[in-house]
Amino acid sequence: MKMLIHDRDITLSDAVKEKYDRVISADGRYAPCQGCFKCWTKTPATCVMKDKLHEMCRLIGLTDDLVIVTENWYGGYSPAVKNILDRSIGMSTPMSTYRGWQMHHVLRYGRYNSVRIFVTGDVSDKEKETWKLMTQRNALNWGVSDYEVSFSDPFDEEGTVL
Amino acid sequence: MKTVFIDCSPKKRLSASGFIMGLTRLFVMGEKKNEKLRTPSDHDRILNEILDADNVVFSMPLYVDGVPSHLLPFLKKMEEFCLEQHKDLNVYVIANNGFIEGKQNEPLMQIMENFCDRSSITWCGGLGIGGGVMMNVMRILLVVFLGIALLRTVMSIINEGIFFPIRPWIVYGKQILEVLALGCGIITFDIWLAICINKKKGYGKHYTRIMLPSFVFIICADIFFTIISVFQGGIFRGWFSKKKPTG
Repeated sequence: MKMLIHDRDITLSDAVKEKYDRVISADGRYAPCQGCFKCWTKTPATCVMKDKLHEMCRLIGLTDDLVIVTENWYGGYSPAVKNILDRSIGMSTPMSTYRGWQMHHVLRYGRYNSVRIFVTGDVSDKEKETWKLMTQRNALNWGVSDYEVSFSDPFDEEGTVL
Repeated sequence: MKTVFIDCSPKKRLSASGFIMGLTRLFVMGEKKNEKLRTPSDHDRILNEILDADNVVFSMPLYVDGVPSHLLPFLKKMEEFCLEQHKDLNVYVIANNGFIEGKQNEPLMQIMENFCDRSSITWCGGLGIGGGVMMNVMRILLVVFLGIALLRTVMSIINEGIFFPIRPWIVYGKQILEVLALGCGIITFDIWLAICINKKKGYGKHYTRIMLPSFVFIICADIFFTIISVFQGGIFRGWFSKKKPTG
């Protein structure tokens, strides 16, 4: 499955829906993660908050190729996109293992193929370095070996791939 | 000198970030103000406190290699506020993650440094802690163990007429020492951070951890989550299953 998560206008979802199996519009209309870990310990792979991110970890976990388009916020994801990722830790299990000689969680759905992150907006050189590190860390956490971060918007206003 | 401590954990109570922040606060001099940042309704109150502050200490958990999403809108608001007010402020960060390696907090530290750059305030560095949640569990256990020592003392008075039995308190003393040994890195770096806050000088970036070999920590973490999952029932609801979306 190929999935796009983006924080651009909702109209982008319609424009690019043919190119992806699933398009998630990060509109921020959902609650932030409460750090309760119940998606591990009480209702596995399900967030206890009953909003549209309730089962988001299942979608992300089942994805083979993930594309994220996000505005730059200090070298990290925008709040709306970060919220989706924070609420998706149920894609792993609470059990721990070693990956890259460091402690990480065992993945519920196994590794996926690729992650492509497109960062939009004004990005300083220092923030670019943070993004490179962030992408590398995320890829390690998610068990992805093919990853890349680009500092451009992949779509034009009509959703055409640039 | 006024220091505002901001606990950015989304948890209402008993957060590891709040505990470690409280530990640092013990060693900081001058006026101190504790704030809890959970929802947008906290933003204006905290900015009001920052208005006449010299130092701000953010304490937060690591979420997906970065700062928790609920903190980001506050940072944006604080950036605008600091630029408007031409605010001169020293910013320190305490980051805590559930893995054993404190170094895993590095992207979060860089994000907070980038935030300071954009806000024209002074990045003074931060402390990244690995396995801080274990410190938090142990402080709760110490309260439980204190209760057990007290209970054994009462039982000793009733059964044997001895008003101060030594043994339960020796055991409790050992338990305190064990906690101090496991947390000695965190405590030492915390005190060092507090000294830098008191002197209003840069701390740099430092990483520490619970003093356990990582394979022992992993076993402890696995046992902890297994016990919690048994009590909360998750272990019986497809603990490891590859669940598909229902919608």
